[in-house]
Amino acid sequence: MIEAMDVNKEYRRAGAIIRALIDINLTIKSGEFVIIQGPTGCGKSTLLNVLSGLDLPDSGKVIFDGENIARAKEDRLSKIRRQKVGFIFQDFNLIKTLTAIENVESLLWPTVLRDREIENRAIAALRDVNMLERKDHFPAEMSGGEKQRVALARAIVGKPRVVFGDEVSGNLDPESEKDVMELLKQINNDYETTMIIVTHRESVAKYGDTIVRMDKGRIV
Amino acid sequence: MAFRLWKKAIIMTLRERKMFVVFTGIYTILIFLTSFFIETTLSGGGGGLATYFIVIFFITSLILSLLYAWILVARNRRTWATLKAIGWTNGNINSLVTGIILYTTLMGFIIVIEVLFHYAAIMTYLQSVKLLTGYPIILISLLPVVLTFAIFLFVQIIAIFVANRKVLKVRPMLALKRVGE
Repeated sequence: MIEAMDVNKEYRRAGAIIRALIDINLTIKSGEFVIIQGPTGCGKSTLLNVLSGLDLPDSGKVIFDGENIARAKEDRLSKIRRQKVGFIFQDFNLIKTLTAIENVESLLWPTVLRDREIENRAIAALRDVNMLERKDHFPAEMSGGEKQRVALARAIVGKPRVVFGDEVSGNLDPESEKDVMELLKQINNDYETTMIIVTHRESVAKYGDTIVRMDKGRIV
Repeated sequence: MAFRLWKKAIIMTLRERKMFVVFTGIYTILIFLTSFFIETTLSGGGGGLATYFIVIFFITSLILSLLYAWILVARNRRTWATLKAIGWTNGNINSLVTGIILYTTLMGFIIVIEVLFHYAAIMTYLQSVKLLTGYPIILISLLPVVLTFAIFLFVQIIAIFVANRKVLKVRPMLALKRVGE
């Protein structure tokens, strides 16, 4: 499904070179639930960026579904992300001027799907995350856990092959964290969606089939 | 697809109530005043002063339109980054931004046309019943309004160009940064 081969990534910050990823080799199989764990600044978010096509590595290959995305153009990466990838963010990143259902639908607006089809898919996704009754509510009217469930619905509405999550429970209380992680596990089981979740929390690790531990830019 | 994004742009614009009301209000006043001074110039009144005011309103509308475009993109950088992360292309986001900018201006025009109709009707009535005598009445005809529309459209095209350039610079990775980081 996803294979990283000799991936390296450096950043320049305040004149210093930071080696965020050093010789990363990683294979993630289809349907796997992977937890990438490590302390702050260990390179786990950079790895997520590179694996998902949000950022390009300085060297090495990232084979995503048989295609090397390490040298792909921006438009191609956008298309891959829309068709094959779902994202969940720590801060939920819902658009505040859109209702829950509109936020979920937003992923499909720039597609050729008809409005009715988009609405049906969004309703199905919201039902999957038990948020259908809140479909007309705005993000400001929802709790953190509810926002993250709507964000999860947006991530799965396009029927992606992979869902990437960056500290998905970072802003949630333990109970909401449990709800969201169990939903992710359920979606992983029901639809065989590959899950790649970055976290620094030990409590999240138990949900993964595979734990990738990182430190100082390397997999340890 | 672009049509759908423009429809969504209208919804999003209307829900950003404060910004929409402020900028539509300012545009309405500017459009009205520009039309008024174009009418004055065309009818031979006002001398060079009317032309001077037209230039001032043109420059003001240009500055305001650029400011609106800048605020629109800068305030919503995280939204654009998120949309890029979930698979929207730069072109998709630009369609949305273009829709928001054009809709705000268009609403200003619709309000001006509405106001001008009522203004003309009231003035004509007051004149006919001889309640308004001894005052010069300036009715703005269609041509100055059309000319003003062309000027404002030109200004908006510049603003859209600037907004689109700014949207291009937003990196999808920004969506992963924590709020305030």
